[in-house]
Amino acid sequence: MKTRRAEQYTGQDLREMFSAATMWLEKSVADINALNVFPVPDGDCGTNMLLTMRSTIEEAYRAPDSDAAAVAQAMARGALMGARGNSGVILSQIFRGMAQGLDGRESFDGKGFASAFAKGSAVAYKALTRPVEGTILTVAKDASTAGQAACSDGNDLIQVMEATVKRARESVANTPALLPVLRQAGVVDAGGQGLYVLFEGALHYLKGEVEEMQSGRPEVVPSNIPLVSRFPVVAEKEEPYGYCTEFVLEGHKNLNPDKIRKSLVNEGQCLIVVGDEELVHIHVHTFDPGRVVHYASRLGILHEIKIQNMDDQHREYVEMVKAQAPLPEIATITVVSGEGLAQVFRSLGVSSVVPGGQTMNPSVEELLQAVEALPQDKVILLPNNKNIIPAAKQVPALTLKKVRVIPTESVPQGVAALLAFNYDADLKANASLMKEAASSVVTIEVTKAIRAARIGNLKIGKRQSIGFLNGELATAGDKPAQVLWDVIDEVDMGKKEIVTIYYGKNAKRPKAEEVAERIREKYPKLEVELVYGGQPHYNYIVSVE
Amino acid sequence: MVRIVTDSVSDIPADVAQQLRIAIVPLYVRFGSEVYRDGVELSNSDFYRKLVTSRRLPTTSAPSPRDFSTVYDKLAGETDEILSIHVSSRFTTVHKAALTGRERMKRKCRVEVIDSLTGAMGEGLIVIAAARWALEGVALDELADMVRKAAQRVHVYMCFETLEYLNKGGRIGRAESMLGSPLKVNSIIGLEGGEIQPICRERRRSRAMERMYSFACKFNSATSLAVEHGAAAEDAEMLAERLVTSFAKERMYLSSISSAVGVHTGPNVIGLSVLEG
Repeated sequence: MKTRRAEQYTGQDLREMFSAATMWLEKSVADINALNVFPVPDGDCGTNMLLTMRSTIEEAYRAPDSDAAAVAQAMARGALMGARGNSGVILSQIFRGMAQGLDGRESFDGKGFASAFAKGSAVAYKALTRPVEGTILTVAKDASTAGQAACSDGNDLIQVMEATVKRARESVANTPALLPVLRQAGVVDAGGQGLYVLFEGALHYLKGEVEEMQSGRPEVVPSNIPLVSRFPVVAEKEEPYGYCTEFVLEGHKNLNPDKIRKSLVNEGQCLIVVGDEELVHIHVHTFDPGRVVHYASRLGILHEIKIQNMDDQHREYVEMVKAQAPLPEIATITVVSGEGLAQVFRSLGVSSVVPGGQTMNPSVEELLQAVEALPQDKVILLPNNKNIIPAAKQVPALTLKKVRVIPTESVPQGVAALLAFNYDADLKANASLMKEAASSVVTIEVTKAIRAARIGNLKIGKRQSIGFLNGELATAGDKPAQVLWDVIDEVDMGKKEIVTIYYGKNAKRPKAEEVAERIREKYPKLEVELVYGGQPHYNYIVSVE
Repeated sequence: MVRIVTDSVSDIPADVAQQLRIAIVPLYVRFGSEVYRDGVELSNSDFYRKLVTSRRLPTTSAPSPRDFSTVYDKLAGETDEILSIHVSSRFTTVHKAALTGRERMKRKCRVEVIDSLTGAMGEGLIVIAAARWALEGVALDELADMVRKAAQRVHVYMCFETLEYLNKGGRIGRAESMLGSPLKVNSIIGLEGGEIQPICRERRRSRAMERMYSFACKFNSATSLAVEHGAAAEDAEMLAERLVTSFAKERMYLSSISSAVGVHTGPNVIGLSVLEG
């Protein structure tokens, strides 16, 4: 049986497709700018990609011929001439590789496009001295691989593009898992998002989805791992970024991109040198743009010279992000140890975590420093331990900032207080809301006795497990889980709804699960949650509310 | 008489819409390759059942301009003034589709399209008020003016067991700060001036419902009020019952959150909307 020949597309189709894609990208520029944190959080990635695409498309319409090879060639030239920023230059290399892949072809089908795009991805990787995963490069690689795989079902371009776009989306969603700076900032990669939007736009065009293109708008791909707030990273004062320096160097068939790259490699960061013997695009982040320009001007004629102060851009970007997600007016600081517990507090919006707790009380100085380091003038402190409250209470007198201490005596009280934080209320109202919430929770703690003792009618052996109910010694025993159960059994569960067990570094989850199961059996109406706290010394910290 | 058109995001109960002659243009809800017209081809209860069992998250899309022009043209046979009130243009392209729909009308009729700046029953209460004014004989220009002013006086609160759906749908806005908790938390968010705002969190459901009740009580000058739910009828009924003691029954609505909204809010959601006098 003969397979039907897949539909062929010409150079005319190629430029129409990317021209529509550029319009789709334009709708997403602001979103992409807002994601831009890598390599420099300067908030211009979307703009750069759009400008690169505009130049690409303008040149595409100047192609002498409308066969695929000629148009792709023109697009590659337009992209190189107009490339801006890291993502723009990488994008230009994708087009360059695509032109190589389509060389000599009048038209192309899905398979032709897929292999051209794969070539584009490979060329883009080569252009960077140190390719970083979790960026536009990874998205290009993943998407082109999927495009090629889709060719086995037929060579239909729409099918290939569908697979390409789908994988691009998944790949963008995965960027925070690959690149820590994205994870910290709580965003997906901006350049990757841009590439995805571009291909999605091309697909809409191929499918004739005019309505969607007119009234719809590209969506920012949600991350596939949970991310928290996007502000803190950009708030930190970092090293200066210098100048983003970029231009096109035109020589007389005598340029050597590799040689130029070697000469410039010590001039700054993010160096990209791409092109051929006639045209070379140079992009570098440097503190001395003069040296780079001076060097290149001896090799040929410079075009499209752009030098931007990235520190100014960064400041504007921070303002923009601030305007989008304003900082709460009141900051909160918590004292806690254990990575799990710190994560619980962070996820609930605490501004800063000071490590400490039982046997590791932070000094007044440490607490004061944490207060001073925050941008806010109003601060709420949660000590979460009886022994830390006195130090915390010293802080308000030592700073010009307005500081309130909520005297939380345990982690559950701290969590309850933080949850009661009201974004709209002022410092005073919040302090009283949080205080009240803290007092409404029951705390159970299970730890080990450091020495033998007799307290009341309880005889405690050294290293025995002891259980506290709201800070008062309640029981002792050999097994921590049994001690936990014994204390829980003393609590009146009448009006309680939730029991949360934070198990510590030295506790085992299955043991905690057994206790949780016993609680559920005895009190079927209660909700029991098991959370890794990772705290030292305490096997279990439990809140009942 | 001015005829009122809205979209299915308004969550207006069918009997109320029928009684007040409100035309509702449904959005589309898509589960993979299955497409349903919100509330027409998929009931709310079926939707929530599918939502929790379906492996793929559904998506929504706005009605087409043609959906709007068809409704406008049909009403144009009965009236010469139409007021079309829609969900905040910050969340969807419904408003834009309505504007394009107006351009594509075949019949002649004045159509005024208004952005309610809100959604769910917040939008619903504005639409209901508009329909009542229209029945009283208020003409289009004055009516449009009244509706724009009413849109400034509407408040929406929603209580979520999880913000996952809101986040996945890309509409979390400033409530982003409430995301990512390893603890189960009820989050209450507000919708003011077309923007999503974090309000507060409660671990206990009972406390969260208490909060919702106290929000309603703040507005003693409310002219109308609505309680709605996404697969949480019991909580909604309890809240409504408590509110009946302080609010006149005829100004209170109990409704269920439509699938077009439910895609983004998820199950176990309680909504409270208040229109101030």
